[in-house]
Amino acid sequence: MPQSPSTAAAAGPSSAGALIRSLFRRNEAVLLVCLIVLIVFFSLASDSFLTVRNITNVLGQASLAMVAGIGVGLLVISGEIDVSIGSLAGAVGIPLVVVMNATGSLELGIAAALALSLVVGVINGYLAAYVGINSLIATLGSMFVIRGAIYLYTGQKAIPDDLALESFYQLGNGRLLGTIPYPAIVAVVLLAGFIYLMRHRPFGRKLYAVGGNPEVARLAGFNVKRVKFIAFVICSLLAGISGILLSSRLGSAVHVAGLGFEFQVVAAVVLGGVSLAGGIGSLAGVALGVLILYFLANGLGMLNIATEWQLVITGLIIIAAVAFDELKRRRK
Amino acid sequence: MLADATPTRPLVATGPAMEMVGIGKRFPGVLALEDVSVTFEPGKVHALMGENGAGKSTLIKILAGVYQKDMGTIRIGGVETDLRSPSDAIRQGIKVVFQEIALISEFTVAENIFLERYPVNGMGSISWKTIRNDAAALFERVGFKVDPSAKVGDLPVSQQQMVEIARALAREARIVVMDEPTSSLTPNEVALLFGVIRRLTGLGIAVVYVSHKLDEIFEIADTVTVLRDGRHISTKPVGQHTHDSLIQDMIGRRIENLFPRSRGASHGEVVVKIENLSTDSKLKDISFEARAGEVLGFFGLMGAGRTELAKAITGYDPIRTGRITIGGRPLSPHNTSTGVGLGIGLLSEDRKTEGLMLDLPVLQNTSLAALEQFARYAFVDEGRERSAVQSFVDRFRIKTPNLGQQIKNLSGGNQQKVLLARWLMRGLKVIVVDEPTRGIDVGAKSEIFALIDQLAAEGLAVIMMTSEMPELLGLSDRIAVMAEGRITATMSRENATQENILNAAIA
Repeated sequence: MPQSPSTAAAAGPSSAGALIRSLFRRNEAVLLVCLIVLIVFFSLASDSFLTVRNITNVLGQASLAMVAGIGVGLLVISGEIDVSIGSLAGAVGIPLVVVMNATGSLELGIAAALALSLVVGVINGYLAAYVGINSLIATLGSMFVIRGAIYLYTGQKAIPDDLALESFYQLGNGRLLGTIPYPAIVAVVLLAGFIYLMRHRPFGRKLYAVGGNPEVARLAGFNVKRVKFIAFVICSLLAGISGILLSSRLGSAVHVAGLGFEFQVVAAVVLGGVSLAGGIGSLAGVALGVLILYFLANGLGMLNIATEWQLVITGLIIIAAVAFDELKRRRK
Repeated sequence: MLADATPTRPLVATGPAMEMVGIGKRFPGVLALEDVSVTFEPGKVHALMGENGAGKSTLIKILAGVYQKDMGTIRIGGVETDLRSPSDAIRQGIKVVFQEIALISEFTVAENIFLERYPVNGMGSISWKTIRNDAAALFERVGFKVDPSAKVGDLPVSQQQMVEIARALAREARIVVMDEPTSSLTPNEVALLFGVIRRLTGLGIAVVYVSHKLDEIFEIADTVTVLRDGRHISTKPVGQHTHDSLIQDMIGRRIENLFPRSRGASHGEVVVKIENLSTDSKLKDISFEARAGEVLGFFGLMGAGRTELAKAITGYDPIRTGRITIGGRPLSPHNTSTGVGLGIGLLSEDRKTEGLMLDLPVLQNTSLAALEQFARYAFVDEGRERSAVQSFVDRFRIKTPNLGQQIKNLSGGNQQKVLLARWLMRGLKVIVVDEPTRGIDVGAKSEIFALIDQLAAEGLAVIMMTSEMPELLGLSDRIAVMAEGRITATMSRENATQENILNAAIA
């Protein structure tokens, strides 16, 4: 893969020491080391952690947050945010299952789910980018509206997959060669595609520019509003894909699906080094942020640490990571 | 790479590159440009000159598509055109080097240069190799020493400015506009820039050059247009100008008697003493004193360091070295609460973001700094607050329907009076006013001048930062002139003339 400009800059120094130092200045390297330390620690502390079954299970769970995290990550890089993704991920199960039950076709169900995501993305993007409502507020609003609509439509009950389609079950629960969960494959393919987009396509660079300095981006001739609008649509579509996988794992459209999911994803994005101010961060970082959070939760569970304490520890780690980032930036 | 700077579309061999005819632009309360016509010829350097506020920046922003003209016609290569956005201007081959650095600081130098149009391969992927090589070749050709793979945010301002200039040359251009491109360049770098400009004109590109530095104008420009108060004053070949005639055209207004003067000529004791003040941002070895009852005016052109000085001596911005003494006591620790405690306050040049709470009423905006005075058992006694504010509203003749009116609905002049009242209510020894009449119409200006005069008469030391010559000469007892972060001249009001002030400012 050709070098991105930032890795090119990092590869500048020739001596090994300078290379290592410049590597450590890269946020992804630090995160990767943290993830490895975490895995090594839990492997030593618990016998059941480092097994193929457990690791692939965690990867399967983390995939959903990773797919949604790609969207939120690129949106935050563009200087905006979307907290309606949890509600949307829950909501797409309804058109998915309803259409599937009516037609017997998984494909039509997926198309219906993506159509809903598209509509939500267009509305969020229109409100934030064109009307100019602060995106936290706009998407907080849609978060409530969508969740309310879910409860109204389902009457606070799950909608089962009446036909028990095997393909629907396989989507979220199947494994390639009996090992690698399909959602993980979806996540990796999307991740690779979007990392390529962010580094090597003009649109990806525009996302960084628009988030880094909207006025400069405008002077450079970018249509700032349109770039942000498209970012909202992409974010919603990815949340929709995540919701389709979630629904398959749950085997139905569950009215409480995705509750609190948005904040897990935002936490992973921030942990991954994306600045909420926009313009800074990478999707590789986001992916590592997701993996750290999910392996942490899994490992703490294996050590029989109460979920109450897991929450406290997770929260402290997020704060520590962002504080570390801030200090590093200030020292420069 | 400079070969790419040759316009690929056919140049009109004869006829102007761009004509702006009867251009007008109005902002709320201000007519920024009125009936300005100017023609830029291919292969010529056309200098735009004028004092701050003369309308140069507005004209350039219209050229760049950042602002839209309200009146007039723009013709590019003989074709009437509307520049509705920066991308329109870029498409028309207009490249602008803005005064403020307009680069993405997280991106590399090379990427910033190609921001406007990324070179892509057949698959639509960005060709980073082309970007790096072309950027390196561009710098090589131009002679600027900048590392194309460095992150822009890590570079010093002078290098960022060179990147900014190089960026304008990376693509085909018909007109290159440079707004004070040399403000942070060394003489060597300026010489390189002039070499580049000569090569551009050799290619038939029209260069529009804005600078306050007269020597530069005489060296590089073919034609000079002077603007004043948003109007066109003169357009002449540079050979027909002398230093004096240019300055004459720039300032040429007579100073109206806007300035009431109630205070005497004698002043009290020294209340502000600044010794050898330097900051990381701009200021170098600044020393001065101001006395009670005195108005000390600081003049300087854009970027001279007036605002930086105002913020440093009031404790807003950190200092590196030097001593600040207010009323005999050091400003230490260096922050605004110490400053206000010692009795020095700042009336910021940026009323809207650093002065007012726009959505709050007049009442809260006025009493903000003096709330402790109205405290009773840790609560604000609103009755006393109201009567105190009302007395200032009456005394300053602040025009507001009532104290509950949101401050954003007041005129600029009345907003400024509220801010002055805020500080006086607190009780100050020294007030630093930075551009006190920016964005205020003429009638209200004289009221602000009367208030400043009155404050000095009541025994405050007033330190006034201004870029407006009439205001400086009309109000000050003494005048200090700044250039590039230093005080270059100090003079009494009697000895001050526009010419010697401007000479010290351009130094």
